[in-house]
Amino acid sequence: MKRWSQRVTTLAVALWAVTAYAPAYADAKSSSMADSKVVLQISDNDPSKQELVLNVANNLIEQYGQDQIAIEIVAFGPGMRLLFANNENKGRIQGLTTKNVRFSACKNTITAMTKQLGYEPELNAKAVRVDAGAGRIMELVKEGYVLIKP
Amino acid sequence: MHMTIKKTLIAAATAAALGSLHTTASAADWVMLQGTEPVGTSSRAEVWGFIQTQYQKNTSDPNASNQYIPNKLVGPQLTSQEQFNVNRARIGVRGAGFPLDDKVNYFLLAEFGKNAITESSSGSTHVTDASITLNHIPGARIRTGLFKYPGAEEGLQAIHVFDYVNFTNVTNQLMLERFSSTYYGANVPPQTLPVVNSLNAFNRPVGAFRDVGIQIFDAFTLDNWEATYAVMIGNGNGLNFGDNDSNKDTYLYLAAEKIFSGTGPLREGLKFFAWSQNGKRTFNGDNSAIGINGAVVEEYDRKRSGLGVKYLARPFRVTAEYMKGKGMIWNGPDKPSFALTTGGGNPNADDNGIFAEASGYYLDGGWYIPSSNWELDLRYDIYHRLEGRTNELEFKTITYGAQYHFNRKTRVAINYEDISATAVNFGALAGPNINLDGVSGVYSVQLTHIF
Repeated sequence: MKRWSQRVTTLAVALWAVTAYAPAYADAKSSSMADSKVVLQISDNDPSKQELVLNVANNLIEQYGQDQIAIEIVAFGPGMRLLFANNENKGRIQGLTTKNVRFSACKNTITAMTKQLGYEPELNAKAVRVDAGAGRIMELVKEGYVLIKP
Repeated sequence: MHMTIKKTLIAAATAAALGSLHTTASAADWVMLQGTEPVGTSSRAEVWGFIQTQYQKNTSDPNASNQYIPNKLVGPQLTSQEQFNVNRARIGVRGAGFPLDDKVNYFLLAEFGKNAITESSSGSTHVTDASITLNHIPGARIRTGLFKYPGAEEGLQAIHVFDYVNFTNVTNQLMLERFSSTYYGANVPPQTLPVVNSLNAFNRPVGAFRDVGIQIFDAFTLDNWEATYAVMIGNGNGLNFGDNDSNKDTYLYLAAEKIFSGTGPLREGLKFFAWSQNGKRTFNGDNSAIGINGAVVEEYDRKRSGLGVKYLARPFRVTAEYMKGKGMIWNGPDKPSFALTTGGGNPNADDNGIFAEASGYYLDGGWYIPSSNWELDLRYDIYHRLEGRTNELEFKTITYGAQYHFNRKTRVAINYEDISATAVNFGALAGPNINLDGVSGVYSVQLTHIF
């Protein structure tokens, strides 16, 4: 009985640990099963790059089909403006998330911008914060993602 | 006849402007476009500008003494009947200087071309726009500095996407304000060619539909509808940065539009708009106490108002606008003093514009030929200057136009303006018609490139 209880406790702790430290993306695992995996980097201040990175994501989905490709857009540095809540492209971001495109926002950049602005910029509700944008890209590359920086 | 059309226009546009606040919309929202940057995607400094090169030929005949008045010559120099010109050459920067906080926008633009802005200036260049816009308060954006005031469509719209080479007579004469010269200058009589005394006698730039002041404005959208308002207080001194009196002009603007598709200056839609301007001008209007060190000055009212509608859904475009004005009615570039007067410095004289009235309207149509780069334009405009007075002049113009678009940024416009100008209360070769008879046509070709 005691042994069974220990097993249940161990299982519960393990479950908690998995839940607590699991990636923020609920569907990341399923996406990683896709045939093709792409991480798109947006770190540029050029506004036209924002449109370009969204276009690339959209084109890839059209070419491969949203179930056959996993796409994550990682924003850091000046490129973080893409994920500001009131960005002109918020409608397109919303549309792409319905096609399983994920958006990552670099916490380091948010901290730096908060210092410059004097307040924390409001982010798009679809953006998931990651510790470091560059680190997130490295993780994804290790998982087999192809890095594209339009 | 024109009264009937005028009443119909007023009724239609008033009903539309008032009744359509919840139901209608239009082409481009110039109040929002010029000086306000898109959120999250604005540059720190976007360099942009445009160049317009042109050729114009005026085919009007001189009077019996072989003399010409300004209407028969090509501006802004008014020294010949034909010329090549770099009409506009503007370059500027715009954006959000601190892109992280793009609620603050700026807009700076300078004119290097040869036109009524630079012809009468002390130099060959002039700053036309220098504004800062604060977008912090929802529903009440704030713009300060030098910028286009909210008003008539022809003046408010971006000139580099204007469909014709020249403005209509009503816009050019009634709305494009000339500021009387800072010192007394006698009227310039008709000139033989080559011109000895310049017929462009003003020594200050035209207002260019701009003023220095503060504007509260915003646009509200609901589904496909957009309503825009603007309230502005300005110096009433045009492109001159400072003011010359303590009077301030007030500008009111209201537009409602149904958006069909697209964004920016080429957005398609149906727009109804109404506007008004109210101010005073301070200068020596009655030829009193003229001296080397100055003159006694007086204050005179200047009022303008108008309304209109614009429809753009390719391949068709239709625009109609009615405008009227009271006070400070301009009487030509050859009359630089006493509020653009004849009348020997008597504001109440029949041919003096200080207390006079004027009105006019235009109808414009465009057809973008399907599957081609060509566009055909047709415009009719009429202007009544010194309306109701003995010396009332009537300008009627039909403009035939064609445009060829090389690409989205480059196009050539070819125009022919068939103009008639008549002093309605005088017969042929009598009164002002001695000089107005013979006013006829203007050919023009203009190449525009935006960068």
